[in-house]
Amino acid sequence: MSRGLARGTAVALLATALAACGGGDGSGGGTSGSGTGTGGESRELTFWMYQDRTPQAGQVIERIRRDFERANPGVTVKLVKIPKDDYNTKLGSALAGGSAPDAGILDQPLVSKYALDGTIEEVPAGLIDEAGYYRGALDTNRAGGKLYGLPQDQTTVALFYNRRLVPAPPKTWDELKQAAARVHAADPDVAGMNVPKGDGYGAWMFPGVVHGAGGAMVDDAAKKVLFDQPPAVEALQLWVDLQKSSPRAITDSDKPFENGRAAMTISGPWDVPTIKEQFPDLDFGVAPLPYKTEPAGNIGGENSVVFSTSDDPDLAWKWLAFLAGPDHNGAVADALGGFPVHLKARVVAGGPEQAAFLEQLKVARARPAVPQWIQVNDEIIAPAIESALTGRATARQALADAAARTRSLLGWTG
Amino acid sequence: MAAPVLERPPARPGGRARRRPDARRRDHLIGALLVAPALAYFLVFLLYPALSALSYSFTDWNLRTEAAWVGLANYAGLLFDDVKYPHFWKSVGVTLQYTLIAVPLTLVTALAQALLLNAVRRGANVFRLLLFLPVVTAEAAVGAIWRWLYDPQYGLINTLLGLVGIPGQNWLNTPELVIPALAFIAAWQCGISMIIYLAGLKGIPGSVQEAAIIDGAGPWQRFRRVTFPMLRPTTFYLLVTGVIAALQVFGLVYVIFSGNGRSVTGGPEQSGLTYVLHLYLFAFRYDAMGAACAMSFILLVFIVIVTALQFRFVKQEAA
Amino acid sequence: MRRISVYVALVLLAAVSVVPFLWMLATSFKRGQDIYTTVPSLLPLDRKTGEWAGTLDNYAYVLDVGGLGGAFVNSVWVCAVLVPAKLLIDALAAYAFARIPFPGRDKLFVIMLGGMMVPAITLLVPRIHVTQSLGMFDSGWGLIVPNIASVLDIFLLRQFFLSIPKELEEAALIDGAGRLRIFWRVVLPLSKPVLAVVTITSFLFHWNDLVWPLLVTNDPGLHTLPLALQQLVASPDGGRAYYVMAGAALAVLPVIAVLLVFQRRILRGIAFTGLKG
Repeated sequence: MSRGLARGTAVALLATALAACGGGDGSGGGTSGSGTGTGGESRELTFWMYQDRTPQAGQVIERIRRDFERANPGVTVKLVKIPKDDYNTKLGSALAGGSAPDAGILDQPLVSKYALDGTIEEVPAGLIDEAGYYRGALDTNRAGGKLYGLPQDQTTVALFYNRRLVPAPPKTWDELKQAAARVHAADPDVAGMNVPKGDGYGAWMFPGVVHGAGGAMVDDAAKKVLFDQPPAVEALQLWVDLQKSSPRAITDSDKPFENGRAAMTISGPWDVPTIKEQFPDLDFGVAPLPYKTEPAGNIGGENSVVFSTSDDPDLAWKWLAFLAGPDHNGAVADALGGFPVHLKARVVAGGPEQAAFLEQLKVARARPAVPQWIQVNDEIIAPAIESALTGRATARQALADAAARTRSLLGWTG
Repeated sequence: MAAPVLERPPARPGGRARRRPDARRRDHLIGALLVAPALAYFLVFLLYPALSALSYSFTDWNLRTEAAWVGLANYAGLLFDDVKYPHFWKSVGVTLQYTLIAVPLTLVTALAQALLLNAVRRGANVFRLLLFLPVVTAEAAVGAIWRWLYDPQYGLINTLLGLVGIPGQNWLNTPELVIPALAFIAAWQCGISMIIYLAGLKGIPGSVQEAAIIDGAGPWQRFRRVTFPMLRPTTFYLLVTGVIAALQVFGLVYVIFSGNGRSVTGGPEQSGLTYVLHLYLFAFRYDAMGAACAMSFILLVFIVIVTALQFRFVKQEAA
Repeated sequence: MRRISVYVALVLLAAVSVVPFLWMLATSFKRGQDIYTTVPSLLPLDRKTGEWAGTLDNYAYVLDVGGLGGAFVNSVWVCAVLVPAKLLIDALAAYAFARIPFPGRDKLFVIMLGGMMVPAITLLVPRIHVTQSLGMFDSGWGLIVPNIASVLDIFLLRQFFLSIPKELEEAALIDGAGRLRIFWRVVLPLSKPVLAVVTITSFLFHWNDLVWPLLVTNDPGLHTLPLALQQLVASPDGGRAYYVMAGAALAVLPVIAVLLVFQRRILRGIAFTGLKG
């Protein structure tokens, strides 16, 4: 390499580096917004959320962002959209590294945890009228009786069924088992149901089924583990029984329900438009989850919080209240893939399918408010479900063992 | 043949004893200047983070609040407490199994590819490029591609097996098959090892092979008596680096088992829960960065021991 | 006869390497439901009629909605700055470690090698902290500076420099040339093969690196290709294979170009790095 060439390259590189890096510099970390907060000056707010469900949902959020900026001159809201798989990893490193945003979406079970250790701010008095919100959704933001976040949408899972294979949706566990068996008997290449598996997602759905038999996973007030009791054992046995007519070689393929290879599946409202767009030929309906003794389900959804490192918490709360308020929450919730949390917000999602979810929401229950619940869910309950589904243990043995482990981990006696 | 020389002894400074003292001082200065940027990087982005991680390994830390000192509790807990860390030893087993399958499979594939490439003239460049293609694919895409190839209904693998009468398998959802399926992907991406083997083959003097031919040795005997022994240093290098990489495998399992916002718990019955995936879950999902750091130093010690054993074994064999 | 069997074996092995690749390409041209065929097709055909049904819509989608275009540009400039700068820093250090005597040199080298063995994942959080303290978080600098040297590359380069006959440099030294001049004029020109190896491996690594850019950038204007790809893979609608594959195909083309340019040198580079017994 000649010296001239080497020098030329070095200079060119330096120039590119300076130009390129300068370009990216204007976008400081989340906490770099000017914190003066005096009226006319420019104020900046960083808000983290999950990746858009669809391009259309992204446009809705963008429109609301512009509305907020127009209503608050001088304010800039920066939205950072992160794939859900990676969200908590990124948030964890940002909190530890001092680069957390002003505000962001937070998983329901994390709110109480973050509240207890002072990572997030308490909702200022008078920000919202609590009576205007669905109680269940609001309560997922409470810790020690205080409110630490605003819900943005609420959601639940229900039974999707293929009308061609299952003309009328089953209402009870027995009907569900019969329907699944009938489908599989008629065509061995079609599974009765896409039975959840013993992974984190299956374990997350499991409590809804347990509630359907009149049981609960835990009694966190009395510090008692309940998922070795008959309702939970019966719920797991239901999945084991269903699997007889639902071979995994079928249900483990890509999108088995959408492709007509599994007659039923459990999913949420966010899947309805996606299925309709991608699989227009599929004739499907949605019904509340079948139950044994009482209708029940899981409540889910997205909460939003203000991090205590924010320079401008007032503005952050204003933004969150804007999103959750009656005027915008309908659109926000729909973009997030759920239903509004404000009683007066308009339900955007149309179609007969949505009725089933709304009915399901009335009987949906929140997940256990135990700080270590995510670990219990992934490391103890999921493997127990899997060992019952694969026949390695009976449902009773698997759950008894899991309950014993949970008691030792949590230090509970009951 | 002499013991493999992986790391040559550093150049002896004595070789330039002639240089005058001021030249030596200038050398000190220039040496320090040249190393300075790399050293600064090392101190700021490697040593400081590594020492931080070491100190966190003695604490209980959730990434949000002040870390609380717990002494050796994380280490003791990981090794002995199967209530708090029920899958620690499982993850060790999974990782060892992966290493024992993936590393030999990768090396054998790479060696076979290199031997064949070395035996042809025409088209060697094209074949080399084709065999190298898997390495250049982005990891996120590798996961998506192979999830499809292994799909029990639409997957190409089962279709091909069906052609030769082998029944299709549910690869990524059968505990016994998960690790072999992952190892196969690793072997598919053996391109770098293949290139290194190829370089080793080019380094074998033609005269040695010719002598063997004159002695009447057939192709297999030539490979066993000449080629393979001459490649031993290369094999050793690939073995050592391959084992270190396999013990830390993470990206592959993460992309295979993640997606759709579902938590990555490591496949059916934790059959794909590798050591570093387990570590990752404790660091970022179960609020236990302290324990995760302890895991990484347990792994570090293990890697050092395994590497030292490999060196020793090779030395003994050579002696 | 033997030659033919060698070619047959090569074709089989190459097929194993290439078929997943071809499947990726084919899928990237398929329309939504045509990917669900029980006999996987390596051509974009209609799943019912079997007629040709190739489309460029997937590429249009990933470039437009998926943001692949901007991410592509970012990845190009990050690699264009990072890879040569890293090569320079590593080569200078490696040369000093190999040839220039200074106090504590070998001890320092061993310590640096040791630092390489800590699993990278535990270093992430402290690194983010450092990056934030240096004011580089969420900026182009943050993508570059925390990656600007590599101990592994220094190790490789040092091995190579040690294998260059010392006499070449000694002659120049006696002629009164300075160390830096010898480095530029004698050592670097002799080291093209190993420089090619380091270039391609570090390019491959940074071109495909997902975790660091994910953690260190917020601004979508700073997204690199793997981040954009991850958005397609982890998309809430379950990840549509045809979009993912179109994105993956776009991401791999430049790599193949780089590979074609460097392929011959890589081979020679490794042959010289002192791996031979």
